[in-house]
Amino acid sequence: MEMPAALPCTAGIGLRAPHYREVLRDNPDLGWVEVHSENFFDGGAPLHTLLKVRENYPVSLHGVGMGLASTDPLDEEHLSSLRNLVDAVQPAAVSEHLCWNAAGGAVINDLLPFPYTQAFLSHVAIRVEEVQEKLGRRLLLENLSSYLFFARSEMSEGEFLAELSRRTGCVILFDVNNLYVNARNLGVDAKAYIRTLPVDAVLEYHLAGHSIADGMLVDTHSSRVCAEVWALYEFALQHIGPRPTLIEWDNDIPELGVLLDEAARARQYVEDRHA
Amino acid sequence: MLENFARAIRGEGLLPDNQVICPNYSAESAVGVYRNNYRGNLRGALAIAYPVIQKIVGQNFFAMMAKKFIENHPSHSGNLHRYGAAFGDFICALEPGLPYLADVARLEWACHLAYYAQDADPLDLARLAQVVPEQYESLRLPVHPSCGIVKSRYPITAIWHAHQPGMPADFRINLDDGPTIALVSREEDEVRVRALQEADALWLHSIRAGIPLGVATFSTLECYPNFDLQAALLNLLPVLTA
Repeated sequence: MEMPAALPCTAGIGLRAPHYREVLRDNPDLGWVEVHSENFFDGGAPLHTLLKVRENYPVSLHGVGMGLASTDPLDEEHLSSLRNLVDAVQPAAVSEHLCWNAAGGAVINDLLPFPYTQAFLSHVAIRVEEVQEKLGRRLLLENLSSYLFFARSEMSEGEFLAELSRRTGCVILFDVNNLYVNARNLGVDAKAYIRTLPVDAVLEYHLAGHSIADGMLVDTHSSRVCAEVWALYEFALQHIGPRPTLIEWDNDIPELGVLLDEAARARQYVEDRHA
Repeated sequence: MLENFARAIRGEGLLPDNQVICPNYSAESAVGVYRNNYRGNLRGALAIAYPVIQKIVGQNFFAMMAKKFIENHPSHSGNLHRYGAAFGDFICALEPGLPYLADVARLEWACHLAYYAQDADPLDLARLAQVVPEQYESLRLPVHPSCGIVKSRYPITAIWHAHQPGMPADFRINLDDGPTIALVSREEDEVRVRALQEADALWLHSIRAGIPLGVATFSTLECYPNFDLQAALLNLLPVLTA
C-alpha cells in the first residue's frame, strides 16, 4: 500500500484547540503537525480549521478511539468517519494505538493494554488489515504506556508489534516516553525493547512528559520531556535512526512557544543524526 | 477477560489477582490509574459540551453531577464527542430545584451537535426567486444539518447568551420571561443561538419534516394569520440549504 507524501524527517507538534488560532495566524516554523482524528470526525467547523492548517503543514492523523484489540466488533461507523476524514485531509500519516477500548458492549475511552498472546496477535492482525483495506493505506501503530502486565502474555509488546508489522505491513510509531514509563513502572528493559523493534518499520517517534503520583509514573502528557526520555530518544536515534518526531502535550497545555521550544530541541537531535 | 478489566475500571468489580502483574505497586493502584483516566476523560467530554451548565452551577457541583452521570451512563463510542447526549434528561431528574437547567443543557447539546454537523450549501435567494410560481408550492427546502430547535418554559436563549465568554457577570434574567423557542445554527463556523417566533418555528418544523412549501405555509397561516413568509425566509436563511 502506498503512503502519499510521507512526513518530513524533522520535528512536529501535537496541535490542540488552544493553539489553532495562533498557528493559523503566525504560521510558525514547524515541520508538521499531528491532530487527534476523532476531533475532526463528521466534518463541520473543526474540519474547516484543519483544512486551513493543512495548507501550511503536512498533517498526521492520530486516532485514539479505534480500539484495534477490542473484543467487541470493529465500530464500522467510526471506521467510516476516519475514512472520510482521510479522504478530505490527505494526511501524510495515519496512526492508531496498540490497545483496546470496547468489551461487553461498553466503551472505556482510554488506551488499554491486553495480553500479548498468539490469539490476540491473530485477532489484531485481522482488524489491522480490515482498517488498512478500508483506508487504502497502511497504519502506524503506537506502543502503549501501561500500568500492568497480563500474566497470560506470551511475548513482549515489542515482539508483538514486530510480528504484527511483519504480518500486516503496518508500521510502528514508537513513543519513547511510553517505553520509559513502562521501564520505570513495570521494570521493562528499555534498551532491549528498542533492539526488538524492526528498524525499517519504525517510521515516527513520539516524545512527551509524564507526571509522578505515589511512586508511579503516569503518562499525562502534561510537562516537558524529561532528561531520561531525551537520553532514551538519543539511544533510539543511534539504534533505529532519525525519524519524524512529535512533541505531544494534552493536559495543562502551555503557551505555543513552549511546544515550539521542545520541537526545536527535538529537531536538533534529528538533524545531528542526519548530518 | 477484557470484560473483567472493563468492569474493574468502571468500579463494578475486581480484577482477579492472578491475571495481572505489577512489580512495584498493587494491581488495585494500577486499575485506579485507569479508573481516573476513564472518569476524567468522560468528565472532560461533558465539560466541553456543557460550558454554560458548568458556569451556572460552578466547577465543584458540575464535577459531582458528572460523577453521578458517568456512573449511570457508560460510553458507547470511541469518539468522546458523542458522549453526554442524555445529560439534560439526567439533570431534569437530579435537580428539580433549578427547573431551567435541564433545558439549558439540551440547548448546549444542540450547540455541540451544530458545531460538528456536516456542511451543506446555503440556500441561494436569487435562485429561489427564479423558481416559476407554479412550482413554488411543491418546493421542498432541506434544512441545514446544524439546525437545532429547543423549546423551554424558561428564557434559555437569554441565559445562554449571558453565560458566553466575555459577557458581564452582573446580568439579571427574569425566569418568568419565558417561554422560549431557541434556534441553533452554525454560521461561518460559529454556533449561533437566537429566539424564534412561534409562527416561524411551526413553519420550520413543517419544512424540516419535508412538507412542501405551499402546505407548510398554508398550515402555518391557519394558526398564525399574521405569518409573513418572506420575513420568515430571511430570518431562517442560515438554517435552510439549497
